[in-house]
Formats: sequence, C-alpha cells, structure tokens
Amino acid sequence: MKLGFVGLGAMGRPMLGHLIAAGHELAVWARRPEAAAEAARAGAAVCATPAELAARSEVVFSIVTTGADVIEVAFGGNGLAEGFRRGGVHVDMSTTSPTVARELAGRYAGLGVDWLDAPVSGGAAGAQAATLAIMAGGEAAVLARVQPLLATLGSRVVHVGPAGAGQVAKACNQMVMVSAIEACAEAMRLAAAHGLDVAVVRQALMGGSAASRMLEVMGGRMVSRDFSAGVEAWLHHKDFGILLGEAHRLGVPLPIAAQVWQQLNALMALGWGQDDTASLLRVLELAGGT
Amino acid sequence: MEVGFIGLGLMGRPMALNLLKAGHKVHVWTRRQESMAPLLEAGAQGHASAAEVAALVEVTISMVADAPDVEQVALGAGGVAEGARPGLVHVDMSTIAPAAAQAVAARMAEKGIAMLDAPVSGGEVGAIAATLTIMVGGEQAAFDKVKPLFEAMGKSVTRIGDSGAGQVAKACNQILTGVGVAAVAEALNFATRSGVDAGRVREALLGGFAYSRVLENHGQRMLDRNFKPGFKAWMHQKDMRIVMEEAHRLGLALPAAAATAQMFNAMVGSGLGEDDSIGVLKLLERMSGGAGE
Repeated sequence: MKLGFVGLGAMGRPMLGHLIAAGHELAVWARRPEAAAEAARAGAAVCATPAELAARSEVVFSIVTTGADVIEVAFGGNGLAEGFRRGGVHVDMSTTSPTVARELAGRYAGLGVDWLDAPVSGGAAGAQAATLAIMAGGEAAVLARVQPLLATLGSRVVHVGPAGAGQVAKACNQMVMVSAIEACAEAMRLAAAHGLDVAVVRQALMGGSAASRMLEVMGGRMVSRDFSAGVEAWLHHKDFGILLGEAHRLGVPLPIAAQVWQQLNALMALGWGQDDTASLLRVLELAGGT
Repeated sequence: MEVGFIGLGLMGRPMALNLLKAGHKVHVWTRRQESMAPLLEAGAQGHASAAEVAALVEVTISMVADAPDVEQVALGAGGVAEGARPGLVHVDMSTIAPAAAQAVAARMAEKGIAMLDAPVSGGEVGAIAATLTIMVGGEQAAFDKVKPLFEAMGKSVTRIGDSGAGQVAKACNQILTGVGVAAVAEALNFATRSGVDAGRVREALLGGFAYSRVLENHGQRMLDRNFKPGFKAWMHQKDMRIVMEEAHRLGLALPAAAATAQMFNAMVGSGLGEDDSIGVLKLLERMSGGAGE
C-alpha cells in the first residue's frame, strides 16, 4: 500500500520502520532535513510538502507534538488536505484534545477525506517492539480499512467510538498513568522517610494488590534514580493542561488529576521538564524531609 | 466627566448608576438592549454601539463576561477603538487573564488609546454600595485621569503596576476567596455533621485567627441557606480556570486552588452553576451523604 508518514520523533521513527518492514511503500514529509535524510536511508521517499505526501498516499499517519501541529500539517499552507484525493485517510496518532480531533474530522468530511484519531500508549519501547495500545476514534468502516496497518504497529487496537473518542481514551490513559506515577513516588518517599530500602519495598509491593505497570517501570526508575527521559515529563504536563481544560468545559470534577497537575507544574518550575516523569519523586523530596 | 459604560449586568448596572449619582454624564451601550432601561430611567443616554459611545466621552468602561467579549468591545466591529477620540482612556473592569488583558492593551496602544485593567472585588453588594475594591494595571497618567470615576464606584482603589497587574491581583483575590469559600463550607458542614450548631461555631471563630470576611459574609449566607447570587458559581469557575491556566503556563504549584477549582467544576456539572458560589456547601453535603438542598 502507498502510505505517508509525518512526525519522525522517538515514537514515529520505529513506527515508520515497521510499516516499511511490512512491505508497504512509504513516503515522508519532515520539517527537519536530518529527519528526512534518516527516513530516506530507511527506505522511504521524501516529499517537499504535506500536500505532496497526501497526493501520493492512500493513508497518511501523523504523530506530532501538539494539536496546533496537527492542524498545521493538515490544514496549513501546503497541508495534507490540499493533496488528499477523495477516500484518502488521515490517521493521527498524536495526543491532542478531543475537540481538535472532532474539528479536523469535520473539516476533512467536507472534502470526502476520512479521519481516525488513534493515539497510542506504550512509549518509545512499545513503538520499537510494535506492542503499542492503540485507541481509535472514527468510523468503524475506516478503521477496518487501516486495521492491518495498525496491527503492524501495536498489539492491541480498540475502536473506542466516533471521532475524538480515541483522544478521550488517551486522556483517561494519561490520567490513570501519571496519577499512578505520583502514587508510586509518594510511596517511595514514605518508605525512604522511614529509613527503609525502597528497592525492597517496591519488590514486596509488586507481589500484591498494588502491583502495576507504573510501579514496575517508573517505580524501578525511582529506585535506581534514573531520571533520564523515557517520556519527557513536559509532555505529561501538556496532557494535563488539556484534560483539566476539558474537565472545566464539561463541569466534571477531577480532584486527583488536579493535584497531580500541580505536582507537574512544580516539576516544570524545577527545570525537569526534559527529564522522565519519575522526577515527581524529586519534587516530593524537595518539598520536605530528606 | 463624560463617561461611557458598556456591559450592564449584575455588576455593571449598579456601577454605572453610582457614576450617575456622583454627577458624571453617563453614556451606555449593551448587547441586550432591555438591560439599558434602568440606566436610561436614571438619566443615562443610550447609544447604538460602543463606537458611538466612545466618540462622545473621555473615558469608556467595560464590564463584561470573558476575554473574547473584552476584545470585541475594545477592538471589534462597532467597538470602542472605532469611535475613540484622541486622548480616550479605555478601562476594562471585567475579570480576564493577565496575558489577555496585556494583549488587548497593546493593540489599543497601537491605536493611541491608553487602556487600564481594573477588575473589582466586593460582589454585587459592593457594586451597589460603591464599596468595591478596585485593582488597577496600566500607566500612571491614565490612572490619575480615571481615579475620580473609580472613587465613585469603590472604596479601595489601588494602582498595582503596569498593564495586566490589576488582573494578577484579581487572580490572587480569586485564589483567596475561592479557597476561602470552600474552607468555610467544609468547616460549617463539619460542625453540622458533628452534631454541633454551625452558627455558634461561626460566631466563635469570628473572634479568632480564623476570622475572615468570607467567614463573616459568606458563612452567614450559608447558615441562612441563601444561595441567591451574589456571585454565580459558574463565574467563580471561570475565574479559577484563569488562575489555573496561568499556573500551568508559569509552572506554579497551586494545590489548594486546584482542589477548589474542581469543586466549582462539580457545581457547574451538577446544575448548581447559577447558584452563588457558596452553593459549594450543598455539594459537600451531597458528597457526605446528605440531601444538599
């Protein structure tokens, strides 16, 4: 299949590789020439604009940083929308807001172009291992068309609902995940304040009801004090800004998420935005005790 | 002074009336024409647009709901900038984000119009009694010119600093009143559910370190179960959003304000948005297994 790809960051690069390895004909557009050159070495054609990319692709994937980036790639000057033929599909795998996803789906519908919001969970490791969890919003028929492609990127693809629903699921995912990181950090902090070996405490908890993916992965990083980024914390900070904005709009109280958001604000202020979100432990350490 | 007033809601109406009472000549325009009636009866002159008002006065004042309204009144079609004479000072007394206030003021400055942000605290009661606290950001010269008008509407008038500084002070005010209302509601609910007369608790606390205006005024209204606004919960929710978005932008931890903002979200979501923000008491009662009527 002729496919397009936009967004060659830590997530996008391995995803591009999987699609090429599955035998598809890939083209990319990239803002940074060095990213385009790397994609070319991996076997992808390089297009000069998103419009050119869309014109030669049946399906275009994007995984960029913010909602504004997606809007720019899709409907900015020389955007994808200018190049897509009727029946083309834009699968956006970025994390944006449900509102942005719904707006883009609506604008594409007017052009006869199909849309899926399909944000992912699993991080760079999941992207490399093709074990991502993919949460899709859009029409079932569109998802059915791209399902084999998504299956080469992740081990679990769930159709959550209409356009925007994927982003709602992703927002829920971020809320549960980062709140769990904060809970791990607080547990590690409490154990350390008692003078205990946090590695042993974590190991004990992993055998019981508190066992979780976050206690395993992020708790592990806290124990080894490895704060180099798996996922850069500023991305989680960005996500919390989006989801608390949605909570305001809908009149939904999110008391725990609101508290975690404040800890993330503190993390940003302390200059750890480029570090791993396990740094929430360092925020607690700074706030008291030793 | 010839002064224009735009936005005649719960706050704007009594504020404009106080300008009339102080002997100023007041020109009004508002989106809902029927809102002008009480002002016209009191001697104000009605107009067809903000631009028309601006063409006749030395100072225009806006008191509207949110940042897009402020921008529309100042810079939109038929807005103040379209009609302004040289030397006009435009004063926005609405509560919006500091960054938004600075952006509108900068665009007005390009057109040669000095702008002040001058949000208020004191609620409808303060607006009627002309006892508002007015927090002003902008140039000293513009502030000096408008000061007599501020004094006709409020009791405490302070120039905090440059453009946006008034809104920063108002955001601080909303943190204190928002968290304060929630704290008073929690304390009174705690007393009641512990089987103690909440009225007597309030009275006792008024003499100690827990004294606050909120405990005195809002606390009494909670005891009276008088949830009529006042200051509507959805407006407090909006103000807390401004605070929390600024905190996000600046990288500031505001845990108590964050918790309070979620309470206001819950009020709006459960249909209490039109109540006074003291209705947070009802929410706490419901969360604690009570009726919360």
